[in-house]
Amino acid sequence: MRQIFYLVQKEFRQVFRDKAMLRIIFIVPLVQIVILGNAITTDVKNIKLVIQDQDRTPYSRELVLQFVHCGYFKTIGFEESYSKLSDYLSSGKANLAIVIPKHFQRHIVLNKKPDVQVLVDGVDGNYAGVALGYISEIMQNYQKRLIESSPDLGFHVKNIHRVETEPRFWYNPNLESKPYIVPGIIAIMLLIITMFLTSMGIVREKEIGTLEQLMVTPIRSYQLVLGKIIPFSILGIVVINIAMGFIYLIFGIAVKGSLLLMVFESMIFIISTIGLGVFISTIADTQQQALFLAWFTMICFILLSGFFIPIANMPHVIQKITLFNPLRYFIIILREIYLKGTTIKDLIPETLSLVTFGSCLFLAAIIRFKKKLG
Amino acid sequence: MLMETDIAVSVSKLSRHFGKFVAVDEISFEVKKGEIFGFLGANGAGKTTAIKILCGLLKPTSGEANVAGFNIKTDSTNIKKHIGYMSQKFSLYEDLTVKENIEFYGGIYGLSRKEILNKTKLLVSELHLENVQNSLTKTLPMGWKQRLALSTSLLHDPPIIFLDEPTGGVDPVSRRNFWRIIYEIANSGKTVFVTTHYMDEAEYCNRLSIMHKGKIIEMGTPADLKMKYGKDSIQDVFVELVG
Amino acid sequence: MKLRRITNFIIKEYIHIFRDKVSLIIIILMPIVMVILYGYAITFDMKNISFATIDDSKTQKSRELIQSFTGNKFFVLKFMDIKRSETDSLFKERKIQMVLVIPKDFSESLTSKQTTKVQLLIDAADSNVATFINNYSNKVMQIYNGKINIETPGIINLEPRIFFNPDLKSSRFFVPGLVAFILLLISALLTSIAIAREKETGTLEQILVSPVYPVEIVIGKVIPYVTLGFLNGTIIILFAKFLFKVPINGSLILMSAFALLYIFVAMSFGLMISASAQSQQSAMLAVIMATVLPTIMLSGFIFPIASMPLPLRLISNLIPATHFLIIIRGIMLKGTGFMMLWKQVAALSAIGLFMISIAIKRFKMTLE
Repeated sequence: MRQIFYLVQKEFRQVFRDKAMLRIIFIVPLVQIVILGNAITTDVKNIKLVIQDQDRTPYSRELVLQFVHCGYFKTIGFEESYSKLSDYLSSGKANLAIVIPKHFQRHIVLNKKPDVQVLVDGVDGNYAGVALGYISEIMQNYQKRLIESSPDLGFHVKNIHRVETEPRFWYNPNLESKPYIVPGIIAIMLLIITMFLTSMGIVREKEIGTLEQLMVTPIRSYQLVLGKIIPFSILGIVVINIAMGFIYLIFGIAVKGSLLLMVFESMIFIISTIGLGVFISTIADTQQQALFLAWFTMICFILLSGFFIPIANMPHVIQKITLFNPLRYFIIILREIYLKGTTIKDLIPETLSLVTFGSCLFLAAIIRFKKKLG
Repeated sequence: MLMETDIAVSVSKLSRHFGKFVAVDEISFEVKKGEIFGFLGANGAGKTTAIKILCGLLKPTSGEANVAGFNIKTDSTNIKKHIGYMSQKFSLYEDLTVKENIEFYGGIYGLSRKEILNKTKLLVSELHLENVQNSLTKTLPMGWKQRLALSTSLLHDPPIIFLDEPTGGVDPVSRRNFWRIIYEIANSGKTVFVTTHYMDEAEYCNRLSIMHKGKIIEMGTPADLKMKYGKDSIQDVFVELVG
Repeated sequence: MKLRRITNFIIKEYIHIFRDKVSLIIIILMPIVMVILYGYAITFDMKNISFATIDDSKTQKSRELIQSFTGNKFFVLKFMDIKRSETDSLFKERKIQMVLVIPKDFSESLTSKQTTKVQLLIDAADSNVATFINNYSNKVMQIYNGKINIETPGIINLEPRIFFNPDLKSSRFFVPGLVAFILLLISALLTSIAIAREKETGTLEQILVSPVYPVEIVIGKVIPYVTLGFLNGTIIILFAKFLFKVPINGSLILMSAFALLYIFVAMSFGLMISASAQSQQSAMLAVIMATVLPTIMLSGFIFPIASMPLPLRLISNLIPATHFLIIIRGIMLKGTGFMMLWKQVAALSAIGLFMISIAIKRFKMTLE
């Protein structure tokens, strides 16, 4: 056991000697939390709108006003020429164009149902879909008001009955993105720090020759692996605690659930990421290779974690693939404890999956490590 | 258990293959205690592979070997406690200080805190490193680093020490000093096993084996070898045999 | 500057790249795997939202409302008529994501009043998902309201025409984005580690004592990796075109030219970092921290920049991917020409020049 102590001590000395590395480990995550905390939103706001009113009558002007004042859109201007409208869309100056046809008012009065055209930039399908929803809402309101204010049009407003939903957002009433993003960023930072530092650290010792030197000492492989895991788990736990304190100070978001449970789950997660790091180090011969392998793993983990893209949205096969992603479970666990105060009882499946991953990866790492050096 | 003998290393028909490539081809020899035994050969002759097998870093494909009385196949953990090893790569941590490196390797070899402290003092004064003991190792000149690496590999007082091209990249003066230390080590009763491709260094060994393409093609004291081939220097003997 | 010296550098760098088979395989295989995986995985088409009901009305009308939710692929009814107090624990067990609460007087109100409100309780721990659920519920309600008001004719026709992506397919949005994402990350990483490695192994000293200008080192480092990055971009775009049927409506030459510019910017970033970093580890850690999350989150790759708060919108302008995303989506999907993209090109060039000059300055400092 004493040997492990010296390994841990050495690792800490190396980390604390590299000031640039220290800054990256401790300060960059905090900066990212502050900046990125507000970034994610699938809300659709500030839709850029260009309007073409070919009619110029009281009715059409009223409709234009509805669009200008509804708050969903940013009217960037009016355009006379129909052929230029598509330029607005392809240059990205506008996302939407509304065309009110000639004889708009006359056709309404004659009950001839004028066509109002909406040109939509459909590249971002989600954005376009929601924007279209806003437009039809505005159109409905406009028609309702028109019918109410001009009874001589001959429509009856009385038989319109609508059901509206009143959403209540639990655990995050204002749908702020911070409480959602912050646990995710913590998890990713933890993944980056632990997996990269271990894999590159071991490969570096291989490159320099110190690993060979260690192998001729009576030290055992499991001691070596533990000597890597202990310091980096401690580092990870410290980073996560600093981050949580910082989040509380800056955003006022506190952990709802048990802090102890949080630390416990983080430990399990870190063991799997470090196991992965050791595993990668047994495949890679140079730090560059280790970096690429770790990087590839990380990007797969992040994009398939449900952090940015809900897993429920993914095709069935890919949903199955995400079952092998420890980050997926850890992000759920973090978010649940952080925002809902969920207890271990309701997190058993996720925790078990993490434990399975951690122990499998850890064992695989030690076995490969031994074989590689034997 | 082996009987107490004066043999430190014994090797019989040891081979190591990497795929089809035969790096070490059935070599056999014995090294006596307190001897400076040299492996001379060009790069790629199989010296490093042989030394790695004896240190337990590589498993042999076939053959037997005993180091410090322990079998390399079955007892490599015990071997590791009884040997020191220093490779052609400089193997201290450059981002640790001199003292921290000594402390680390001492700890790894299971020395007690007190022993480590004493050893550190002793080493620092022996190597005249008082002024730089708290500097990062990477700031030391190459020759000092090499001597420090050698000293750290002796921290646990091993009876046998393996040196794999220990003087690569060192200036001639430092090399001479380094060999002085090797003699001191041998005089204190330890066995020194050294590989080199420097011909002048080969002359310093008590006994020499010349390796070529994985085989030992000649073995004996430098004087015997020179006599046998009627040459003035080992360099000429080597050229005669290999070239 | 001497051309011969630069070519020597370039050849040396190519040898490095091609000798390291593992890295080479990863560099080439990674974009392919990513495009396939994410081309399919990244989609905003939500399915199977599990929900429960609290039906205080229990009438024919309330059942019809519930049916309008269950009658599509978006929603799956998991529990009928739960107790209010069960909501919290069901959310915590993650068995449901939404509860539809229908009030007692629903049926009466529907016939007598113009608007009737029903409550939706949504688990917003994942605010992203919660927004989706809300949007989908609104869609369902639109259809429902249309149905129950069937006898009311509209007086205006709304005629939407969707440009560039008529089926609103997510892949058309994400696959060109992946090009921007992968190109930036690979290019920045490759160069960042290239110089830090030479520093670590001491070969940089060797080079610095030879009579070369910093500019030559930088150019020698950049050109080989630019070709690699370009190769990557080509692979991804081929996959985009033939696997995901993303059209390329604009000029291929224009796109290649801009891609080269973009790769240059990404590499300048890598160089800037590695010129200041002491070890490969800190260089790569810095690059990863500075590229992965900001590029995913702030560039418009997934989340619309327009919806972000003002400070973030400003910051997003500093991210090279932001500009390249507009360029590549414009050229591929909209067939946009140079005249409409000059702003983005100017921004990219400015960012690139700024970073490369810092890199060269740092090198000079190392020299002195």
